Amino acid sequence: MMLTTMEGAVLKVPPSFRTIKPNPNHTNRTFRTVPSATASAPAPLTTDTKLGPGSLGHLTRPDFPILHQELNGKRLVYLDNAATSQKPTAVLNALRNYYESYNSNVHRGIHYLSAKATDEYELARQKVANFINASDSREIVFTRNATEAINLVAYSWGLANLKEGDEVILTVAEHHSAIVPWQFVAQKTGAVLKFVSLTEEEVPDIEKLRETLSRQTKLIVVHHVSNVLASVLPIDQVVSWAHDVGAKVLVDACQSVPHMEVDVKSLGADFLVASSHKMCGPTGIGFLYGKSELLSAMPPFLGGGEMISDVYLDHSTYAEPPSRFEAGTPAIGEAIGLGAAIDYLSGIGMQKIHDYEVELANYLYENLRSIPNIRVYGPTPSKSINRAALCSFNVDDIHPTDIATFLDQQHSVAIRSGHHCAQPLHRYLGVNASARASLHFYNTKEDVDDFIRALSDTTNFFASFK
Amino acid sequence: MDSFILNSPLSPFPIFPKSLNPVKSCSPSNIKLNPTKLPIYSRIPSKKTEKCNSLFCLTPQGPPPSITQSLSVSEKVQSLDFEFKSLPQPIDRVKRLLHYATLLPPFDESSKIQENRVMGCTAQVWLNVKMDDNGVMRFRVDSDSEITKGFCSCLIWVLDGAEAEDVLMVKTEDLIEMNIGFQSRGNSRVNMWNNVLISMQKRTKILIGERGKKEEEHKTLEAFSSLFVVNGGCKETKSRINRFGKLLKDNSMNELDMLTKNIT
Repeated sequence: MMLTTMEGAVLKVPPSFRTIKPNPNHTNRTFRTVPSATASAPAPLTTDTKLGPGSLGHLTRPDFPILHQELNGKRLVYLDNAATSQKPTAVLNALRNYYESYNSNVHRGIHYLSAKATDEYELARQKVANFINASDSREIVFTRNATEAINLVAYSWGLANLKEGDEVILTVAEHHSAIVPWQFVAQKTGAVLKFVSLTEEEVPDIEKLRETLSRQTKLIVVHHVSNVLASVLPIDQVVSWAHDVGAKVLVDACQSVPHMEVDVKSLGADFLVASSHKMCGPTGIGFLYGKSELLSAMPPFLGGGEMISDVYLDHSTYAEPPSRFEAGTPAIGEAIGLGAAIDYLSGIGMQKIHDYEVELANYLYENLRSIPNIRVYGPTPSKSINRAALCSFNVDDIHPTDIATFLDQQHSVAIRSGHHCAQPLHRYLGVNASARASLHFYNTKEDVDDFIRALSDTTNFFASFK
Repeated sequence: MDSFILNSPLSPFPIFPKSLNPVKSCSPSNIKLNPTKLPIYSRIPSKKTEKCNSLFCLTPQGPPPSITQSLSVSEKVQSLDFEFKSLPQPIDRVKRLLHYATLLPPFDESSKIQENRVMGCTAQVWLNVKMDDNGVMRFRVDSDSEITKGFCSCLIWVLDGAEAEDVLMVKTEDLIEMNIGFQSRGNSRVNMWNNVLISMQKRTKILIGERGKKEEEHKTLEAFSSLFVVNGGCKETKSRINRFGKLLKDNSMNELDMLTKNIT
């Protein structure tokens, strides 16, 4: 059934979406559209050879037109998915359809287009709610991105509920967007931020986190999957400990929601944030999940249209959530695009995506370890420890930016270098930066093989310059 | 050791545009670059310096007489632009930058402080900027990335030893051909050479301002000292001049008024 749905999606792709036009700004590079190898007849999905021909990666690649191009005469290998994912034609079509057929403002218009746009916008909210198993779509607030969602909680819930001496617990592995807003709140309220370090296995030490909990703890801000370490935290356990002392938990799920089943009910999280662009949706939209009773008690974050009930000259009354937190015209097309991305992911099945990515992650990790003088950060995968499908690493005496530059220029392999918005973690690891290769379900074993070959060539190249 | 030959079909001598080519007799097969040798541009003396205190000083054997003429900042920018345009293959541009990285003058480790950091996302860069008594700018840069060092080496060649005003004239668009791996033409966290150039120019502006302020103070001080000469006979002339200087520096205008009144 799933395969039928996906084939159908491929067949519906209009020809214009299959053509990649050269970018005139990139004078040094040659772009060429490459026919998609499996677009017409995807091989059957087999369970015994998860990474071989017919794997999930091979099956879904045709749905992503951007992947079928050459740069400098070499096939593009896109391994920067933790930064942003590529978009399937189903999402591109949804955006195009919205702007071509029913672009209009939501919630306020009486005419057909507005009603249609409102229906689709709210349907997208329902899709998000279903996707993470929220009880009600009113528990989903659309934001610009996950960063804004965290800021919303910080400025609304944080400023209203934290006071001097209260404690917020985080880990050193948090993304900057999960640290900085709480620094603002701590400065304003006198609350204290406490950071939990890593274990010897380079995983955030949740036992230490448990020991740090006390009646002063009011909030835990923690990632689900680390964007650097590839570690996965047992959020349900953390939530259970937090609730025992009356603390709330905010989960940064940006690196988990696109890659695995995330169920807010089973996790028990009070708040959870994710971003659309990392889960095959458009940029410019993310979401906050918040338990109904918490959202209802929170004051507005931004003031403006949409979020009010009545406005007088001297005061206003506010709408119920989620409208209370969605001031101004929202990103309508983007929300609808996110809804299409969720349809696409759900059509494949998140468990299937996760299973495939675990295999591919292990393949990446094992092959990467074959590169001389490499250090891969995060836990070693085993039967009991699954790594997310990304590897941050350094090679002795070669700056990660130099590696990323050479991979891009010479091999058309796109990876990330830098601190990945996790400077405290890099300081903890004793480095300023790292290189990161991050996969998604549309990557294949061949992508990993090409990357490893290219990395080997890169290290040899720089070694020859020593 | 990887050496490479400049054999671009675009130019027999790609370091310089034809109009600037000082050694036209060189044939392409004679030109080799590898990290053990200085690049062509390194044989060009710095415009403002006679002493060999810059990386880009004369090689021991000395240059052909025809290239001892100095290049202006804009000519150097043009040369770099031409040089990198003549290397169509990315790997050749990377190699060239890595070679230039080896020529970066040493950076004083004690200057690797937060104030000297050029902020960017992917690599660390430190920049030290000074202006000498003649208004000539002195730049030193270091980075933990070799390719970034290569960019910085090019910037140093263009701007170290230039007059402050010339430093401010350089536009980021002029150096886009150096954009190895950083396809973005606008501001970007990874566009390191762009950030370095902007930092060089910002710090130059600050030093121009400080220099102007000092000159103003000096002029005022001279005016006051002539006032003392006119009044003559004052035993405290020297100490009063010093006092005026300090007050001017501290902007203590009220005290300065009092002191001026005492003169008359």
